[in-house]
Amino acid sequence: MKIPLSPDAVAGASRPRPHQEMLSPDHAAGSLAATDLRCDLGGRAVLDGVQLQARPGEVLALIGPNGAGKTTLLRALARLLRPLGGAVSLEGQDIWRLRPRPLARRMALAPQGAELWPLTVEQFVGLGRAPHRGWLLPLAPDDRAAVQAALERTGLGAMRERQVTELSGGEQRRAILARALAQQPRVLLLDEPTAALDLKYQAAILGMARRLAHEDGLAVVITLHDLNQAAGVADRLALLAGGRVVAVGAPDEVLTAELIGATYGVPVAVCRHPLDGTPLITPLRGE
Amino acid sequence: MISRIRLSPMVWAPSLLIGLAAAGTLSLGLGAVWLSPGEVARALLAPDSPDVRATAVTIVWDLRLARVLLAAVVGAGLAGSGAAFQGMFRTPLADPFVIGASGGAALGATLAIIGRIGGVGVPAAAFIGAMAAVMLVYGITMASRASSATALLLAGASLSTVLSAIVSLLMLISDRDLHEIFSWLLGGLSGRSWPALAMSGPALLVGLAALWLLARPLDALTGGEEVARSLGLPLNTARAAIVAAASLTTAAAVAAGGLIGFIGLAAPHIARLFCGSGHARLIPASALVGALLLVLADSAARTVMAPLELPVGVLTALLGGPFFLWMLGWGGAR
Repeated sequence: MKIPLSPDAVAGASRPRPHQEMLSPDHAAGSLAATDLRCDLGGRAVLDGVQLQARPGEVLALIGPNGAGKTTLLRALARLLRPLGGAVSLEGQDIWRLRPRPLARRMALAPQGAELWPLTVEQFVGLGRAPHRGWLLPLAPDDRAAVQAALERTGLGAMRERQVTELSGGEQRRAILARALAQQPRVLLLDEPTAALDLKYQAAILGMARRLAHEDGLAVVITLHDLNQAAGVADRLALLAGGRVVAVGAPDEVLTAELIGATYGVPVAVCRHPLDGTPLITPLRGE
Repeated sequence: MISRIRLSPMVWAPSLLIGLAAAGTLSLGLGAVWLSPGEVARALLAPDSPDVRATAVTIVWDLRLARVLLAAVVGAGLAGSGAAFQGMFRTPLADPFVIGASGGAALGATLAIIGRIGGVGVPAAAFIGAMAAVMLVYGITMASRASSATALLLAGASLSTVLSAIVSLLMLISDRDLHEIFSWLLGGLSGRSWPALAMSGPALLVGLAALWLLARPLDALTGGEEVARSLGLPLNTARAAIVAAASLTTAAAVAAGGLIGFIGLAAPHIARLFCGSGHARLIPASALVGALLLVLADSAARTVMAPLELPVGVLTALLGGPFFLWMLGWGGAR
């Protein structure tokens, strides 16, 4: 199922200039919006007036060169970084006005840097139930069912008793994703979910992100380094550079030779994926 | 981190309880008057029956039982708070004294000894000192805006250094109290009886129960602060609750037994070998292991150089260090 793009998301997408996405006051379940978002790290402005909206049922990929602000934006969306100005709103409510647990019932983050402790996979994924069950009560049968569903969905059903520290890199990434799924969120934030994974797991994770958006109706926001993965997985791309969103739109509109060449400072050629026709970016060798 | 054979709680919990009961029975029999385990059991369970010697009942109930129980709860408390701090700070090196409790307790006890505040004065001062030091460390960290776990650790280490320096200075100045201060610092349960148990026991049990209740926040914190926050954990509240519960436990343990090292560091590592690292199991398992270790260590401290009594803190360090090294080697080699 392809989610139709609204005209405001496409307008002006193909020119490398600060992009202002038109925002409708969206209170729909699972909509996440950044409005004029400004953040700094150690006094250095990292995000400067970001305007962006993630919608239920679609995958929004954040792309851009190193230091463009992708991860900072994701952290600001996840309420891990308090913005200097502007706001992030979830279903029309400022996330900083929500209490941590209600927020974690609606929005989940699968972080990239995994600091793992030797919990079993089941205990690890079970942490995703705390927003629902509370921090002090033991898990109930419906929590266990949600954990089991998340494990099966990520292909970890047979590894419940294993320790997460003993899993392979790909299995650990899936365990982190499973923990986020156990939160049963309406918005799912994925930080570089394919980093350090081989082709098979890259495809599996990206396929899962698409199904979660298209079949389960989640809003999925995903940061990706690999532009071709982004082209394959995303319904819309947001291209960041220097802390600003320079373009938002469908892969065809954002992944143009001019825009990518100008943003990344390297000449590229754009060809087509042989099967689905999505754009494929190839850097040209320096002359 | 070591992780080996995982046992079901249905196996380890009864095993440890039986082990603890056996060690306790043995410990109750040891001393100037040797009582057989059977005699100890009869004196405990049927003190009024005619085939039990009255002296055995007196020895068990009036002289030894409170100390053995105290060893068990102090060991459990040190081990439980050690496990909690290891999880919260995500370092296997943490022990119950990691954020300043030992320095505060030492200063409190030293001042009470120098000031000749007898009776419950020394343990009470140790308790207050430990709690005050931890609150000071926590307050400084919160006020500094660098409210991370690392800042808490660093502030704890700094304050401990300052407090130990003050204690050393006080010892140097008041040399007529040197022996008493020094023997308190070495840690021991010598001469402790029912009043000490009544004073520290409830706080130890309440603190341990609170830590057990905080098992899931502890599990969440092992993934790092950002993960815990993204899971909806109110970070400062959770951390304050863990610090409060662990420090109450530690302060009560220190008030009863002085600075007994090593149990709080080693018992959680031993427990992880069979119960894993999830805190819902680790906290009670560590507590049982710590109780068992300290009951055994206190029995040894009373007997190896009888009639002289060793400070149990010296013994736990002497035996615990090599044992821990062996365990690490064994864990790494497997």
